[in-house]
Amino acid sequence: MSLKRMVLILCGFYCVMGIMPLFVGDTDYIMNILVMILIWAVVASCWDVIMGFAGIFSFGQVAFYVMGAYASAILSVSLDIPPVFAIMMAGVITGMLGVLVGLPCLKLAGPYIALVTFAVHMTLIPFLKGPLGRAIGSGGSQGILTIPPINLLGFAFSSEQLVPFFYLTLFLTIICTLILAFIIKSYWGTAFLALKDSENFATSLGISAFRYKLMVFAITSSITGLFGALYAHYVGMLSTKMLSMDVFTILMIMIVIGGIGKYPGVVVGAVITVTINQLLAPVGMYRPLIMGAMVVVLVLFLRDGVIGLAQKFSPLQRKLG
Amino acid sequence: MLKVNKLNAYYGESHILKDVSVAVDQGQVVLMMGPNGHGKSTLLKSICGLVEKVGGEISYSGEDIIGSAADKIVNLGITYIAENRELFPYMTVKENLKLGAYSKNARANEKKNMEWVASLFPKLIERQKQLACTMSGGEAKMLAIARGLMSDADLLCIDEPALGLQPSYRLDVLEIIKEISKQGKTVFLVEQNIPQLTEMADKIYIMEEGSISFEGSKDDALNNEDLKEIFLGL
Amino acid sequence: MVFEIIDVIISGLINGSVYALMAVGLTLVYGVTKAFNFAYGSFYNMGGYFAWMLLIPVGLIGGYFSVFFVAIPVFFVVGYLLEKILISPLRKHDDWEMKVMMLTLGLSLFMDFGYQAVFGPRIKSLPGMIEGTLELGQVVLFHQDIVIFILSVGGMICFGWLLNNTRTGMAVQAVAQNPAGAKIVGIPKDFIFAATFAISTIMVGLGGILLSQKTFIDPMGSTNIMIKAWVITAFGGMGSISGSLYAAFILGMLEAFVGWHFGMIYVQIATLTLLLVTLTIRPRGLMGRE
Repeated sequence: MSLKRMVLILCGFYCVMGIMPLFVGDTDYIMNILVMILIWAVVASCWDVIMGFAGIFSFGQVAFYVMGAYASAILSVSLDIPPVFAIMMAGVITGMLGVLVGLPCLKLAGPYIALVTFAVHMTLIPFLKGPLGRAIGSGGSQGILTIPPINLLGFAFSSEQLVPFFYLTLFLTIICTLILAFIIKSYWGTAFLALKDSENFATSLGISAFRYKLMVFAITSSITGLFGALYAHYVGMLSTKMLSMDVFTILMIMIVIGGIGKYPGVVVGAVITVTINQLLAPVGMYRPLIMGAMVVVLVLFLRDGVIGLAQKFSPLQRKLG
Repeated sequence: MLKVNKLNAYYGESHILKDVSVAVDQGQVVLMMGPNGHGKSTLLKSICGLVEKVGGEISYSGEDIIGSAADKIVNLGITYIAENRELFPYMTVKENLKLGAYSKNARANEKKNMEWVASLFPKLIERQKQLACTMSGGEAKMLAIARGLMSDADLLCIDEPALGLQPSYRLDVLEIIKEISKQGKTVFLVEQNIPQLTEMADKIYIMEEGSISFEGSKDDALNNEDLKEIFLGL
Repeated sequence: MVFEIIDVIISGLINGSVYALMAVGLTLVYGVTKAFNFAYGSFYNMGGYFAWMLLIPVGLIGGYFSVFFVAIPVFFVVGYLLEKILISPLRKHDDWEMKVMMLTLGLSLFMDFGYQAVFGPRIKSLPGMIEGTLELGQVVLFHQDIVIFILSVGGMICFGWLLNNTRTGMAVQAVAQNPAGAKIVGIPKDFIFAATFAISTIMVGLGGILLSQKTFIDPMGSTNIMIKAWVITAFGGMGSISGSLYAAFILGMLEAFVGWHFGMIYVQIATLTLLLVTLTIRPRGLMGRE
């Protein structure tokens, strides 16, 4: 997809999102969905950059999201750091954790990366619930219940005041989306595509596979952590439930609907998935069951996501794409 | 016996074989020659069901086999002997040979073929407990041919058996092909490192840039002025 | 103190033997089909629930003996069909490895919540296969543990024999060692893929029946089992059967000692650390081949 087309789609999407509060601003239910769409769209985009563009089979995306959330919550609750700074520090911390996980990991073959990153995810649960987590202020199995809202120049952004919080999120979303679009389309993007196609070829061009992968892993982890932190201050409480498999699956559905490596399809995926997930809330424990079945069906039948579908059925798009 | 009509084959986007037509009759030794990288191996692989994208007609004993799965084709009695051997590296010589007789027809004649192979390759049988990955290039090549013979096939598609071998091994290869032919088997061969082979070939094809540029008997080939270059290299 | 350590060693050996059974199945599938099955833990629970269903509500005559007798063919069919219907269609495309991981992860969620919907969210316990203890001086062995150990080691020996002495077993190894060569000699790859997947389903399902007697059947416990099996596989070297065997016993022991000395909560952290250190030094695990 050309840069122009990508920017056009994203601009259209964020403009529509930007004017939504004018119509639904006083319906908290819908505003909450919109905020979650914005947050998930960025987290899922980061994953798409890792999997679809850098070709790293990372299954640690939710782990970094939760790490960011916990980092910021712990900083602001235990150390009384103002949330704005806590969020920024959480972004830096998850970026560093990304390097820490990436260093031993990214030299491994594909499935090993998936396994190790997923193992990191699974290990976070006993870590946060156990004495080690409690020692740093994770609140054990109870979680953290009183996370202060973001306070900027005396104005509180919280789930009480959805419209201002929405615009704050939108602002951050646009900045991070620009960073991701820049990664995808700049020299780096070309380098990553080369890496994905043929590591040997890329190496012969003088592109150091490992350095670039580590860099993209760190940047996307950092952005993911930042949005995790934002989420923590938005909902005001955290527990290890965020690490349950259905959250992971929701993220996966976004990327499958959007099409892996078909950025910005994943943004569309986020809109659809968050909406479906909300609509399924009344069915209770059948929701993850349906989500699981959805993954199976979508992976089998929706090969390249909605973008692939659009390209297939529109000859014009095929030419432009 | 084998009839290939207007065969086209592709690897990804590249068009390798262009309207290739070939006929091999029962009991013949047919030799395919030509420059490297022009599609000779692809032709053999297409016949044996080892190329994904193929179009055209291939029939064997009257049966249409194009696009059939490789295991079905082996079961019909066609075997491919790969230039790069494709052995099972962590299995012994004996196990490699046994797996050569995997297809249904071959199983029935496994004992008989094992004896035949043992008489053709006495050196291999001496080392039947050795792992394939520890063998030298020449020995591994012999094992690949032996494994192919275990399949009890009537048509053997042999891909450059002498490539990269020492001269002494080349003569072995020649003897073995003579022996195979004596047993009434049909041999379709891609090879140009053994001059004596042209002498025993019933028919010679030359492939250039994915098409057949010459077809005829060995005398036609040797008398053809345009082909001198190719044979001078021998 | 000494007897406590002996107890820990015994528990490590027993857990290790069942892990070995499961990990060997997993490494076999990876070695042969290169498919990364994230639903492996849910198959483990399938074993537990299957046995529970036959023993408690159905009350099958013959107890565990009949359960194994019924389970083996049923698990084979389930595994075979799942491979044919869900995984084999993906194999046509380049990015199938990633797609298989995603699909099996979704399948795992579906199965786990399916168990919850059918059997309820509470954990269930399986009756023991055999009662009684064996006393050797001050060391007390449960008969059940001995039987579990014998069955899983016996299962592996049986499996190893089949792999090395039957035509299909040899074909499975052939596909793992050289898929192109296997195709040339006429081994039907699709059948071997599905059969291998089915065999691994049997192995993990039996592991579930055996180990669930000692622990519980927990509908949400499958991810832990899956991670354990995968860690063992990666630690030993994906695709290497002997590597998995060593790794299973090493991790069984590690788990027993860490759990005894520091507490169960540290087991997973210790396991992950061991895996990371191993992979940093040997990127393909203990005995992985290039």
